[in-house]
Amino acid sequence: MNKKNQINIFIVEDNKVFTQALKADIETAFMNMPLKINSFVTGETCMQKFKEEKPQVVILDYHLNSRYPDAADGIKVLDWIKKENYETNVIMLTGDDHIDIALKSFHHGASDYVVKTDSKFRKINFSLLNLFKMMEAKSNVRKYKRLAFVLFLAIAILVGGITAIQIFSSSLLK
Amino acid sequence: MIKSESEKSIENVCDLNYLTEMMGGKKHLIRGIMDTFLKQVPEELQSINEAITKKDYAVIKNFAHTMKSSVSIMGITVLAPVLQEMEDLGSTSGDIEKIKKLNQKLNLICKQAIEEIEIEKYLYV
Repeated sequence: MNKKNQINIFIVEDNKVFTQALKADIETAFMNMPLKINSFVTGETCMQKFKEEKPQVVILDYHLNSRYPDAADGIKVLDWIKKENYETNVIMLTGDDHIDIALKSFHHGASDYVVKTDSKFRKINFSLLNLFKMMEAKSNVRKYKRLAFVLFLAIAILVGGITAIQIFSSSLLK
Repeated sequence: MIKSESEKSIENVCDLNYLTEMMGGKKHLIRGIMDTFLKQVPEELQSINEAITKKDYAVIKNFAHTMKSSVSIMGITVLAPVLQEMEDLGSTSGDIEKIKKLNQKLNLICKQAIEEIEIEKYLYV
């Protein structure tokens, strides 16, 4: 797999059944894409790996302290992620359909918010698809910016060269 | 046709169509999730049972909340309102006797679900 094009996704969720199903579902839905998915049961364990890998996407559960009462909650982990790498897109997951949780998540920098209803996996895949399109668009913008810069440089060198030839050739003719 | 009580009791509580569809029918993935479910759910039930004995409402609420995800993946829809009520009672430190009754139902249905999955998983080898 080409590491340069690989999309790195972290799942932070303390329910292993859910994580396993979500991971398999994403891999099935995006089977032609070079994805690498890592999963973690707490934000604390996620952050150790996060610093090394700086994933493009993190799917983060809002409630992370069901099994591990001392674990940091989703909002705290979101803050750590954004502090470490603001470019990482975070999809916040929650079992509660409360507008205040959604607003809080967006306020802290989440890219999207998905409620764990019956259609949760479809919603997560849709959210991922949108993020992948956005990431591709951003990558294209960077590519075109570089191309525009190279073109500008080439034209500047060409114009400079022609001007220099004109100046020197006229002074030589005299 | 109206089913008798004995017929209802032998009805399956799991509906694995959702899981099968989600995994695109890939047997090894379905089997893996079933194995994790069989390991995880007894631990969750034990944690809830202990929390009820200690009247630890926060733990009751947290585990009822997290179990909703696991049981929905296995299509155990009958447990969704039970767990929701346990979560609500846990968050308001509500009637412990009511929580105990709900927990009995939870244990009973989970036991049946585990038995069903134990048999079903051999079809996904």
